[in-house]
Amino acid sequence: MTVQYSPLDYRNDVKPVWCVGCGHFGVLNAVYQALATLQLPPENVALVSGIGCSSRLPGYVRTYGFNALHGRVLPIALGVKLARPETVVIGITGDGDALSIGMGHYPHAARRNIDITLIMMDNGIYGLTKGQVSPTLTEGEITKTTIYGNIDHPIDAVRFALGCQTSLIARSTSLDPKHMAEMIVRGIKHRGFSLVHVLSPCVTFRGREQYNWIREHTEPLPESHNPEDFRSALDAAYREDKLYTGLIYQEERDDYGSRVSALCERSQSKGILTLEELARQFLI
Amino acid sequence: MQVEELVIGMAGKGGDGVVTAGDVLASGAASEGLNCFMLKSFGPQIRGGESSCRIRISTEQITSQGDRIDILVVLSWEDYAKFAAEFVLKDGVVVLCEEKDEYLTKGIPVDERSLSTLYRIPFIQITKEKVGSQLVKNMVLIGILCGLFGFSKEAMVRGIAKKFGRKKETMELNLKGLNAGYEYAVGLKKTDPIEFSYVPSRPNMILDGNEAIAYGALYAGCRFFAGYPITPASEIMEWLSRELPKFDGVMVQAEDEIAAAGMCIGASFAGVKAMTATSGPGLSLMSEMIGLSSMAEIPLVIVDVQRVGPATGIPTKSEQSDLQQALYGTHGDANRVVLAPSDVEDCFDVTVEAFYISEKYQLPVIILSDQFIGHRKESIKMVELMEHNGFTKRFERIHPSIEELKDYKRYRFTEAGVSPMSSPGIKGGQYTAVGIEHDEYGCVVSTADNHESMNKKRFDKCHRIREEFHFIRKYGPEDAPLGVIAWGSSKGAVKEAVLRANEEGIKVSALVPQIIHPLPFKKFEEFFRPLKKAIIVELSYSAQFLKYLRSHFHLPFEQITCKRSGAKALSVEEVLTQIHKAAE
Ligand code: SF4
Repeated sequence: MTVQYSPLDYRNDVKPVWCVGCGHFGVLNAVYQALATLQLPPENVALVSGIGCSSRLPGYVRTYGFNALHGRVLPIALGVKLARPETVVIGITGDGDALSIGMGHYPHAARRNIDITLIMMDNGIYGLTKGQVSPTLTEGEITKTTIYGNIDHPIDAVRFALGCQTSLIARSTSLDPKHMAEMIVRGIKHRGFSLVHVLSPCVTFRGREQYNWIREHTEPLPESHNPEDFRSALDAAYREDKLYTGLIYQEERDDYGSRVSALCERSQSKGILTLEELARQFLI
Repeated sequence: MQVEELVIGMAGKGGDGVVTAGDVLASGAASEGLNCFMLKSFGPQIRGGESSCRIRISTEQITSQGDRIDILVVLSWEDYAKFAAEFVLKDGVVVLCEEKDEYLTKGIPVDERSLSTLYRIPFIQITKEKVGSQLVKNMVLIGILCGLFGFSKEAMVRGIAKKFGRKKETMELNLKGLNAGYEYAVGLKKTDPIEFSYVPSRPNMILDGNEAIAYGALYAGCRFFAGYPITPASEIMEWLSRELPKFDGVMVQAEDEIAAAGMCIGASFAGVKAMTATSGPGLSLMSEMIGLSSMAEIPLVIVDVQRVGPATGIPTKSEQSDLQQALYGTHGDANRVVLAPSDVEDCFDVTVEAFYISEKYQLPVIILSDQFIGHRKESIKMVELMEHNGFTKRFERIHPSIEELKDYKRYRFTEAGVSPMSSPGIKGGQYTAVGIEHDEYGCVVSTADNHESMNKKRFDKCHRIREEFHFIRKYGPEDAPLGVIAWGSSKGAVKEAVLRANEEGIKVSALVPQIIHPLPFKKFEEFFRPLKKAIIVELSYSAQFLKYLRSHFHLPFEQITCKRSGAKALSVEEVLTQIHKAAE
């Protein structure tokens, strides 16, 4: 196959506003890489995001994009996907965007199994609003709104996603964009809702040490891991001392779009209506 | 006495089926080419509990529920008491009631002097003996109405078939009930003076406002709907969930109203006409999406079938108190269009217009309907409904030309303030839609100058809409010194009051805009010119509409507010009384 698109072809000339050293650069590169790997025409891709440092990402990609409102990435992405099923829809979100304000939408996108890949950039902090606690931050941490130490118990995105029947769950880190690109590719190829949970450091409000923390606390899944087995996925997600990276869970299930088409077909089984005929139901 | 118009009120407990009886009566009448208007009113229970309906049937065009009841049918006096305030009885009212109602012994709560005839009818007994099932007491009732007042039984059979035609057994049972009632009435000594007479003509359609909006949306090309159930708007979603898939459209019952509006924006961004429908509390939740649609210039149609507010208010009753929310709800300077249907036919027209404006100008359009129109049935001439679209141009949004795609600026400044909109799949049209302030390309820019010019771009659309769109109704003589200004469902009572006053020789005219924002200034100013006084009619305790008019116009005439809270339908008499007072 001749390579038509290189990662550079997905890049536009808008300069990211991110701080130097931010983990999100790694995610951006992984997105370019994944799109190139799949040779996706830029006009057939839509990146939909919410609000936050992470959610600025669509503005830096030469595909269609939508930088919407805080927490609303999933409903908007769902609308795009259902309206234009041939479009590859990628959700871009952060830990606050997805698991605080937008939390109510997640389980529904997952149970519907809408064919979207959600990249969740998790750094445990609200970077754009300059350093408040996020729902994934570990207990005891000091932030601008937890100056006596965080007393909230954190949400683990992967465990949560498993509970929500997410049909593909992967984890990666900004330390390894190549691996991340692979995970994104798997997500896009998967027919259904996929989560790529990315540990992506915020150097400004968590410090450079966050890179070290990630290095120390992550480990690739063992070769023996079977992502199709829900129990082993649970075991992997609930390992206490380390966070596994790689493909944690994958399940084949009808996606929302195909259910919608099947429903349309069922409704048309008695023949196609015209609008004028339809109005006759008001006549008696 | 031969009459060409009747107002019938019915009340009973849940399960008595008075609303179904009303449906059958109304559709039966419509099938004879009669005009009808039907209101339903329920208690707060989910199932059971009291229910009532009132139907006005006429050979003439009608615009309101009619003020006074000619024939009152009561299946339970205990439940009637809960609606008594909504039923104003005519002098000479005919009452039919269940003979075996224990409340009857205490005397009926109707002024004896105004009562012309009281029929005590053994509904329960007739149904038991002649049909063998208690379920169809309401059809016995219809049969009796036919026998006594001259409605056509054949028409009612059509009405029943419309409702139950799909279920053979139920159909038969109902017909048995109808016949039993009819036979009973024929054998009854008629002692009332009412004889309804008419000449049947071509059948009318009969539909309620929610159906008209749903159908209007489909007609206008809407192929995506997302919503969250809420009274009194849910029927729009239910109807579309049934019909959209037949047209390859999608209906999603979202997890909440924010999601519903968000899904619509997503679909619209992707190039499909989308709509959501809700009521006041849901519109509150959608506020942020109104801002997004406005800022990102993405077409969106939102229907608000208003109910009584604030908070949970009274879900099953009507008010016009979401006006301010529709006009101003959301943060920032967010431009939007607000349209208001004033009757069932308008619901269709306004919805088609809403899509037209929304697609052409790329902004949110809010349709302010209300429970009163949403849930009431009106007869409409089929041809008229279709022909109305003579004035609605089926507008498709502007896509960028090949030339424009060479250096595509999604938010390009143009003469008309509207920039060609690309959508996924169009090569070279890639851009990022944004809720954040941006330049012509959609790139983030936070300078004051840019924000000012972008605001101007978004708001300039208003002037064009103001010029182009004159959906307004006027009644009465051109040069009347007394005017009535109303919006939305108040029109019914207002129009009738004004026409009656005109007949009495009072020079009064009325103005009802179907476009509330932006106001078509010229049309208003024309109407204001001869005015010395104007009555501003609305169902809002705090007089939201009057305040809104004052915020736009100098109003160089005496203003009389005719406002009150909702929950009770506005009556012709209320408006007429004000007209009389003002005309003194
Ligand atoms: S604040 Fe943190 S997350 Fe945001 S751009 Fe800077 S480093 Fe990245």
